[in-house]
Amino acid sequence: MDDDAVFKALADPSRRLLLDLLFERDGRTLTELDAELEMTRFGVMKHLRVLEDAGLVVARKRGREKLHYLNPVPIRQIYDRWIDKYTEHRVSALLDLKSELEDSA
Amino acid sequence: MTTSTINATTVQVYQVFIKAPPEQIWDAITKPEFTARYFHGARVENTAELHAVRGSEGEDWGTGLTFEFDPPRRLVHEWRSLYDPDLAAEEASRVTWEIDPQEGGVCKLTVVHDGLEASPKTAASVSGEGWMHVLSGLKTLLETGEPLF
Repeated sequence: MDDDAVFKALADPSRRLLLDLLFERDGRTLTELDAELEMTRFGVMKHLRVLEDAGLVVARKRGREKLHYLNPVPIRQIYDRWIDKYTEHRVSALLDLKSELEDSA
Repeated sequence: MTTSTINATTVQVYQVFIKAPPEQIWDAITKPEFTARYFHGARVENTAELHAVRGSEGEDWGTGLTFEFDPPRRLVHEWRSLYDPDLAAEEASRVTWEIDPQEGGVCKLTVVHDGLEASPKTAASVSGEGWMHVLSGLKTLLETGEPLF
């Protein structure tokens, strides 16, 4: 998974809104999503394409409809790669500070 | 419109990119010696007829039917949660695995868990963290040879 594509996809309020809409109710058509955004249908399509390329949205055909689903895995991977690493470091730095202060007391 | 009846958790879609050949991914999801290392210890043995799921003592954790068996691309099987009495009482659901080779030795693996309309407890239990835990474990196992947990 390409981190750049995920960060780029998340760096736009309309695309974050689309993800929030799918989080509320998954498996929506373009028409249903279009109705929620103050934007042309073409604009929504373009944003969905960026989200699909980043793996954040997965489109599945059901009959003649194309339904869009939120895929949480790339966000989890960003979390594992970035958030976990730094919060763990900060916690261990605090623990080091604590033991240092207690030792010198 | 029919789509309005779909609840947030009755169709769940997960997708992950794994740097491994499709045959290896297929083995990792259909053979017990692999699944035991990332699927909560479950020993899954998937044939064209049966999706057998057993614990380490041989107890049945959710054996069901195989609906589609097309190695190394597509597997569809029944899901039953016999490992938990509350979940076991609910109706069986369905899991679809699709392995889609991309450029650069990477495969796109898509997992769809659906047919959960009559099984809200199962839907809640597998959603989000549940499938993500399994899929990230599978990815790590295939890419590094080491189980994640």
